[in-house]
Amino acid sequence: MFAYMIRTALLSLRRNPVLSALLVAAIALGVAVSTAFLTVHYVYSGNPIPSKSNRLFYVQMDSWNPDRPYARSRPELPPEQMTYRDMQGIMASDIPTYQSGMFVASLTIHPPEAEQRPFRERVRMCFADFFPMFEVPFLYGGGWDRGADRGPEPVVVIDAATNDRLFGGGDSVGKILRIEDRQFTVAGVLAPWRPSPRFYDTHTGASQVPEGIYMPFEFVRIFEVETAGNLLIWTDYDEVDGFEAFLASEAVWIQMWVQLDTNEQRQAYIGFLDAYVMEQKKLGRFGRPLNNRLLDVMGWLKDQEVVPEEATGMLVISLLFLLVCAVNLIGILLGKFLSRAPEVGVRRALGASRTTVFLQHIVECELVGVIGGILGLGLSALVLRLINQLLTNNGQFGLDLPMVAAGIGLSLVAGLVAGLYPAWRICRLAPAIHLKLQ
Amino acid sequence: MELGPIFRALMHNPTRFWLITVEVALTLAIVVNCVAIILEQRELLTRPSGLDEPNLVVVTTQPFAGDFADENFLDTVREEDLRYLRAISGVRTACAMDYLPLAGGGSLTGLSAPDDESDGHPAPYFVVGLAALETLGVELVAGRDHIEADLRPGEGEPENLIVTQALADRLYPDGDALGKTVVDPDTREVFGHIIGIIREMHNAWPRSSIAGLAMLRPGPVSNERELRYMVRTEPGALDAVFNQLEPTVLAVNADRIVTVRPIEEYKRRYFDDEIVLVKVLTVLAALLIGVTSLGIIGLTSFSVTQRTREIGTRRALGATRSAVLRYFVIEIWVITGIGLALGALLTYSLNYALTHLADAPAISWPLIVGGIALLWVIGLISALAPAFRATLVPPVVTTRSV
Repeated sequence: MFAYMIRTALLSLRRNPVLSALLVAAIALGVAVSTAFLTVHYVYSGNPIPSKSNRLFYVQMDSWNPDRPYARSRPELPPEQMTYRDMQGIMASDIPTYQSGMFVASLTIHPPEAEQRPFRERVRMCFADFFPMFEVPFLYGGGWDRGADRGPEPVVVIDAATNDRLFGGGDSVGKILRIEDRQFTVAGVLAPWRPSPRFYDTHTGASQVPEGIYMPFEFVRIFEVETAGNLLIWTDYDEVDGFEAFLASEAVWIQMWVQLDTNEQRQAYIGFLDAYVMEQKKLGRFGRPLNNRLLDVMGWLKDQEVVPEEATGMLVISLLFLLVCAVNLIGILLGKFLSRAPEVGVRRALGASRTTVFLQHIVECELVGVIGGILGLGLSALVLRLINQLLTNNGQFGLDLPMVAAGIGLSLVAGLVAGLYPAWRICRLAPAIHLKLQ
Repeated sequence: MELGPIFRALMHNPTRFWLITVEVALTLAIVVNCVAIILEQRELLTRPSGLDEPNLVVVTTQPFAGDFADENFLDTVREEDLRYLRAISGVRTACAMDYLPLAGGGSLTGLSAPDDESDGHPAPYFVVGLAALETLGVELVAGRDHIEADLRPGEGEPENLIVTQALADRLYPDGDALGKTVVDPDTREVFGHIIGIIREMHNAWPRSSIAGLAMLRPGPVSNERELRYMVRTEPGALDAVFNQLEPTVLAVNADRIVTVRPIEEYKRRYFDDEIVLVKVLTVLAALLIGVTSLGIIGLTSFSVTQRTREIGTRRALGATRSAVLRYFVIEIWVITGIGLALGALLTYSLNYALTHLADAPAISWPLIVGGIALLWVIGLISALAPAFRATLVPPVVTTRSV
């Protein structure tokens, strides 16, 4: 029966190709626009690491100015990043399964080919746990071990794009790379990896691509490099003299992530942090009330409001756009259906029930919806590519399986919205009138 | 008039009436809200920054040799760089600067007047070398520019600061900021003296509500050994000068990475999202008007086809062609009019939702009036072609059976 309905619907669509094309085009346009902005919103609001997002925690402690809160508008919040000394202090804990402080630096890379000029690259300074904690995929080799953090040993991990650029691709493990005035050995090459949003450092852009190079954190002392991200300080920055003084200062510039797998671990770690702060209070630091915060990945992203307001606004507008397209179809479908009232009259007279007639027409509308939806998804991919090109930091928007499903879902809903009333009207027609007229 | 019959005919077959009404109402709501957002963003993008934007280009050099750790060496290179940059034909002047206006990254401190007990005012600042005012193209309205002696104040001496009028007015609301002292709001220690006031200059965050607050601190400029210069070219000479900048500074010292980029490029990157948003919304609003217009054409055509006999009867009974045309024109006026009235309500509802969800701008009534006028005209134009077709219906159709 269903196959028959689809066949009939196809026949009906073929009878008036221009009108059918118009119907399909309207749905395609609406689906293209709405799916594109649904995808944009989804990328911003998605879970970047679903396998363990509720076991990874962002650590905050309130080391800020005793006289005033970190953020005047939200005085209950501790600073969003951490000082170097506190990061060092809490990294001493053996409670977390994995843990890493991290920041982004801008360093000079000397390509192995002598004729290429040196260039600056964003380098993530982090600890060995960064890779297993964030389940970073490797193409060749792997991360470094915890021993290399202490040295620090001159090892780096590079991403696939950097590997192509510097070494022409291939297994570059063991190759030598000069960064600033030091030689580093490549320990691993990443497979393409783009968590979106880029949750681990929201301050340098949640929609940014991850850094191309990763290096043991402690090279911060050797290169005496400050963060290329965000740094805030409440004491007088001009009075910080020398790099060691900077590291010991109250400047907050480090992101701190830990993995806590069990509830016991979590409780133990909370106790550890509290004890750490109380200890620091004895030393005259942490003048503000005890205010430690552990937020999991989704909690942290929500706190940081990584979904741009524009994305939400565009989503609302694009869904309304689809609605207008669907409303447009109502009129066209009504005309189309009513024009074949005589045919329906014959079918009804031959015993087709109202329900059958109704369903037949709904199937036709949904067929239009699905065809339009498929075309719309293609269009939507183009729209997203266009948006990616328009955005300078290479946008990351693309359709994935859930979004394709959502696009088809939207087209079915649009087909239903457009078809419900016309199909209801046509099935209510009294058959006799149309028979008489013939 | 024919309003009575038109209305009764509409109510007799209300589907078309409702469809157009709903469509027009939705379209008005969406288009007006889109335009409101577009206008707000454009206002942000185009408001004057006080800078000579079209003629400013930035040269950033990042050394990779150890020599630059030595401050004297750094000073020498900076002076040489500036000397050669200023000597390029087509360059008006250049200055050293630590961060960039309009680019989204910079420094900020708190300041207040000595007797002001509040938490202080945000003072985004740039550390600049000599000739900054002429380079940036900002206008000095009171006081003086920095001189050589300002660059290295003696031990314990306060800095000589130049602030924008907006910042001066915040610090000293009575308008007597020139020559006054400003202090750190926490420690109450003297930060500096205001020696000059400039009319207008945007800081590093032109999108923010404090875009107009800016301060120029004199100093030997370097940011972790990085040297950065703002270069102002003669009007229109930027393209000609552009390619000479990198070789010029590399000739002074080649052990560094040089980036040359017009300030407008930094601004474009900073306003990336806004620019894309404006483009997308413009296309969307245009598409939507197109779709609605097609919808009205379709529905009116359908209605004309359905009412062929009725039109013929009227013609047979003596109605002129223009009367038939008038009938359809007035009808579409009435329908879109009602739709737009509903649409005005819907526009405000959508705006309410968007201001809460997405911090969209509140819409003003001229915008709604404009939107109503636009859609009314578009509705009319869309209905004209089918209405003309109606006038061509010959009276003789009445005499034919189906």
